[in-house]
Amino acid sequence: MRRTTLITLTAVSALALSACGGSDSDSGDGGSSADGGTTAVTVGVLPVPDTAAMYLGVDQGFFSDEGLDVTLQPTTGGAAAVPGVVSGTYDFAFGNYLSGMVAADTGLPLKYVTNATTATPESGFQAVVVPKDSPIQTPADLAGKRVSVNNLANINDTTIRGVVDADGGDSDDIEFVEVAFPDAVAAVTNGQVDAATVNPWTSSMEDEFRVITYNFTDYTEDLDIAGFFTSNETIADDPELVESFQTAMNKSLEFAQENPDEVRRIILTYTKLSEETVQELVLPVFRTEINRDALEELGKSAAEYGTIKEEPDLDTLLP
Amino acid sequence: MSARLSGPLLGLVGILLFLLIWEAVPRLGIVQERFLPRASTVLGRLVEYLGQQDFWTSVRETMVAWAVGLLISVTAAVVLGLVIGSSEFLRKATRSTIEFLRPIPSVALIPLAVLLYGAKLESSLLLIIYASFWQVLLQVMYGVADVDPVASDTARSYGLGFAARVRYVLWPTVLPYLLTGLRLASAVALILAITAELIIGSPGLGYQIGLNQAGGAVVEMYALIIATGMIGVLINFGVRFMERRVLSWHSSVRGELLA
Repeated sequence: MRRTTLITLTAVSALALSACGGSDSDSGDGGSSADGGTTAVTVGVLPVPDTAAMYLGVDQGFFSDEGLDVTLQPTTGGAAAVPGVVSGTYDFAFGNYLSGMVAADTGLPLKYVTNATTATPESGFQAVVVPKDSPIQTPADLAGKRVSVNNLANINDTTIRGVVDADGGDSDDIEFVEVAFPDAVAAVTNGQVDAATVNPWTSSMEDEFRVITYNFTDYTEDLDIAGFFTSNETIADDPELVESFQTAMNKSLEFAQENPDEVRRIILTYTKLSEETVQELVLPVFRTEINRDALEELGKSAAEYGTIKEEPDLDTLLP
Repeated sequence: MSARLSGPLLGLVGILLFLLIWEAVPRLGIVQERFLPRASTVLGRLVEYLGQQDFWTSVRETMVAWAVGLLISVTAAVVLGLVIGSSEFLRKATRSTIEFLRPIPSVALIPLAVLLYGAKLESSLLLIIYASFWQVLLQVMYGVADVDPVASDTARSYGLGFAARVRYVLWPTVLPYLLTGLRLASAVALILAITAELIIGSPGLGYQIGLNQAGGAVVEMYALIIATGMIGVLINFGVRFMERRVLSWHSSVRGELLA
């Protein structure tokens, strides 16, 4: 008697459990599914000015023109982008080129399909800054100092090291500290770090800070920063989807480059940056072609500094 | 009587003192105002939020994750707790597994959640369910173990069937434990809901906090943080209220009311 009731209870609980399991896995992933001529596409983005062209393209209907019904999935950190694409949660995602190189270096099968942002020629939307009264004057002076970057072993510490070494300093002696962009100003003001990588850099910050280097621009001329990537699986299974995305994204990039006011308008809709800050922003360059030479140099530096084990094969990584 | 009156009053004094110190710290320049805005500024912004649709949408997203996660974990934990707790064999067989799985912090599952679901509700649910499940399961198991053997034997010798024994012996013993577990789990579930939103970017208040932080909107960020705190207080208040209603017959509650 006791035994049978136990078995019944177990069976009931197993049923209840499987019912629970069903309810939270049924909404599924954002994979592409055609319905009525449009394809649903999920794109992982960061809610930062760098992704403005993507938001603008959706806003202007460039993606629906190509039959793509885009859902932008913003994440607060970049951590979700690569696993999200590899697992198929996102069809495409925004990521800087060094993140892609690191992922490829660990054997993850992904490939960039379009460019997203490129460093500006003279000044930059991002800078390594020190307080006005700091003894640090040149990039070489950063050796032996504490410098904040938003992510360790990524594009910022790699380019900063490149700049410092080119200036005659020894970048091995820099102590990089991970501080998120929003907290970097506080960290350098309070002396937790000697220099901070800040993004966005705006002219009103000149009252308090001095720019030591625009690390992207000073690292090498014409460096592309980030692009949109997808998995090799998507490229093999659905080349038409990739092509439509490329067409729409490239249209968006061109439109963004020609309409900076529109870019500023759209940034205000998806970030919480203040209107003043957005008006002061130095916008990145939005362009469709990717400067391979600069990225080859970046890959070399990354391998030299141990960010990645070996130089990336740009033929497989870039479109 | 006087003790009951001074309780809430003291609490109010404590909150006012805290707000006063908060107001003073940026005013005196101990911390720069752009990093820690004044309490009055933040509370003013919070009041503004209360009139905004977007704010309530975020609150709803967070509360849906909280409620659904809690419901699933409590249901599963009650059923499993009753089953495992009722059997000496199952208790022994699962003890080491539970002791191994339980201490794993739910936040350590963030990479798994990201991989499985990305920045969506499901990620929040995974973390919430995992964290709150153990709280309830253990309490239910303790509750089952606490059933008075004399009462149990008496019920059986009087010929009460299984269902009646569960209803009149097992359930009243387990209920206080279950409600303690529920109270712990409801707080943990809120923490994990906000964590998932903040770190992974699942929709909700936590995501808005992160977005405001990224945009340097410090006042808004603190206002939303206060809002999450207030939700926590409300949840705790609600669960305690329910506890008192459901357990009005229980000596712990009766004793509290008599004092």
